[in-house]
Amino acid sequence: MSNPAIIEIQNLTKTFKHATEPAVDGISFSIYRNEIFGLLGPNGAGKTTTISILCGLFPPSSGKVLIDGKNLHSELPSIKNIIGIVPQDIALYPTLTARENLEFYGSMYGLFGKDLKDKIDIWLEKLGLTDAAKRQVSTYSGGMKRRVNLIAGVLHNPKILFLDEPTVGVDVQSRNVILEHLKAINLTGTTIIYTSHHMEEAEHFCTRVSIIDNGQILTQGTPGELISNNAGSTNLENVFLNLTCRKLRD
Amino acid sequence: MMSKLLATVKKEILLLIRDMVGLSILFLMPMALIFVMTLIQDSAFKTMNEKGIPIVFVNSDKDSLGILIEQGLRNNALCSFHDSIDGQPATAELALKAVGEGKFLVGIIIPKGATEAIRKNVTELVSETLNTEEPTVEKTAPLKDSVEISILIDPVAKKSFLLSVTSNLREFISEIKTKIMFQTFSDQIEEVIPGKSSTPKNAYNKSQIITYKEIYASKSEDKIVPNAVQHNVPAWTIFAMFFIAIPLSGSILKEKNEGSAFRLHTMPTPFLLLVNGKIIVYVMVCLIQFTLMLSVGQLFLPMLGLPALVLGNSLMGIFILTLATAFAATGYGVLVGTLAATEHQAAIMGSLSILLLSALGGIWVPSYVMPEMMRNISTWSPLNWSLEGFYKLFLRGGHITDILLDAFKLMVFFFATMAISYLYNRKKRTV
Repeated sequence: MSNPAIIEIQNLTKTFKHATEPAVDGISFSIYRNEIFGLLGPNGAGKTTTISILCGLFPPSSGKVLIDGKNLHSELPSIKNIIGIVPQDIALYPTLTARENLEFYGSMYGLFGKDLKDKIDIWLEKLGLTDAAKRQVSTYSGGMKRRVNLIAGVLHNPKILFLDEPTVGVDVQSRNVILEHLKAINLTGTTIIYTSHHMEEAEHFCTRVSIIDNGQILTQGTPGELISNNAGSTNLENVFLNLTCRKLRD
Repeated sequence: MMSKLLATVKKEILLLIRDMVGLSILFLMPMALIFVMTLIQDSAFKTMNEKGIPIVFVNSDKDSLGILIEQGLRNNALCSFHDSIDGQPATAELALKAVGEGKFLVGIIIPKGATEAIRKNVTELVSETLNTEEPTVEKTAPLKDSVEISILIDPVAKKSFLLSVTSNLREFISEIKTKIMFQTFSDQIEEVIPGKSSTPKNAYNKSQIITYKEIYASKSEDKIVPNAVQHNVPAWTIFAMFFIAIPLSGSILKEKNEGSAFRLHTMPTPFLLLVNGKIIVYVMVCLIQFTLMLSVGQLFLPMLGLPALVLGNSLMGIFILTLATAFAATGYGVLVGTLAATEHQAAIMGSLSILLLSALGGIWVPSYVMPEMMRNISTWSPLNWSLEGFYKLFLRGGHITDILLDAFKLMVFFFATMAISYLYNRKKRTV
């Protein structure tokens, strides 16, 4: 990868209080500019903990993280300005309309006035929500909520976008729209860090993936590299199952 | 930063006005509480005043004492006099049974020969004093040396109320007894001192040189009369203001559970700014609540025949104390919302703790009737600080300087709750 790293993770460890095993166990990797980086792993593998640390939700037990050249530990407030997050749960106020939700979240990123209004209008139009913009989010379908959830994370044009299963529980149409726009965002220079259990989606969407389990990186590379390097695997799902075993997880 | 704060305030207002159930709890519940509690307390006394306390009277004396007590009770508007029970003349046995069954609150039995016993005692006293023979007292039947008047009490009636009723009855009966004694004394003097025909007339009335006047020791130039309205409006308003902890903590937990808090923590907006947005809105709600409650006290309660709320001397004092109470209540809501893990937990934790703090604070039962230990604990309840402050303004006619300490304590409570919430949040995020 010729692009410089936008995220550098060195020996990152997180052990929660009262836990016997670390949730993240000394992982090191880099994410490059303009990548769509997939962080894949079974339940409890450590991917949500890793993303939560990168978003500044809680500090690591040890290790170092540089985001856009800034130390996560000491420069978190300025890092928060350049990241966006689309959480797996619909992080919206159900009794507010889509527009009211977006106005609020946009304001929290420092967008105001005409700039904010224009950005909201553009995104609502792009994701087919203009007509429903004045309706309370509680009246929306699952797919519509996911689309508003996505807009709330990208309204401020973040340099880095964290996506935690952005298409879970949506119909094929909504998923296509969401993925198309995410690719478009990526083309404008936004680096995307993506987690999913949907291996086929990850295989086609990500430029590079990392498979994590028990808090450790098992493998890393482009989907094509991982498939060809794992004998007998014809797709990313085979690779994933071979590496993480077929045992059921809690 | 100001624009972000305004956006947070706008969001909170929108969330609040879209939650009609929450809004009705915030505004209608305290109004209903004030109406109901004031009407109940006021009508409890009014009913007694209008219909009178039901008293059954058994007069076995049939002489001056019994007759005078009967006349006094019949003419007293506070009493509903009965000398028969279910159509039968009242006897001691019937009266005891009827009071026991709750047909009457009080029963009075004047024993046979009570007047004669009083007269005999006075005559003996006069004779001993003047060293004369007993001239007039018949020596046929032995007379009692003391008179025992029985006051029967309904066991269901509240002790504090009965204490006041029986005290008044004792005083009344004692007065009649004294009158009889004076009269007998005058008659005896006239009889034992020959030629002393000019004994003092109206000796009893002349002896009544002590009179009583009740003055409420209020600083107010207005005549503030303690009544159910003056007590209940501030008490239940404070209670309602603290009840704001439930919707406020619910709103914090909704944000946590619906994922908004997760998103907000990743944004370049300080935690305190987000909390401040909530505080501003909920403090405003508290102030509106308070204004509404005052309006109820001043405008609506008089329509129901209750006295209007008198605000006292210091509107600025009321504003400062209300603002401090609003901050304390809001801070408490933030604390409950921070410590509770679920909305259900917050609702239980919030409502129970407010009920407890209000009971300790003297909202339900005045703190001066509590045992000493509870009175000491009571002084640690923020609701008590607020209530004491409002009583100073509404009942004692106090000024702004009188409530500054109460307001200060409430603000310290607010800052303490905020500090605990902040530290708890920080600790939780660093596990």
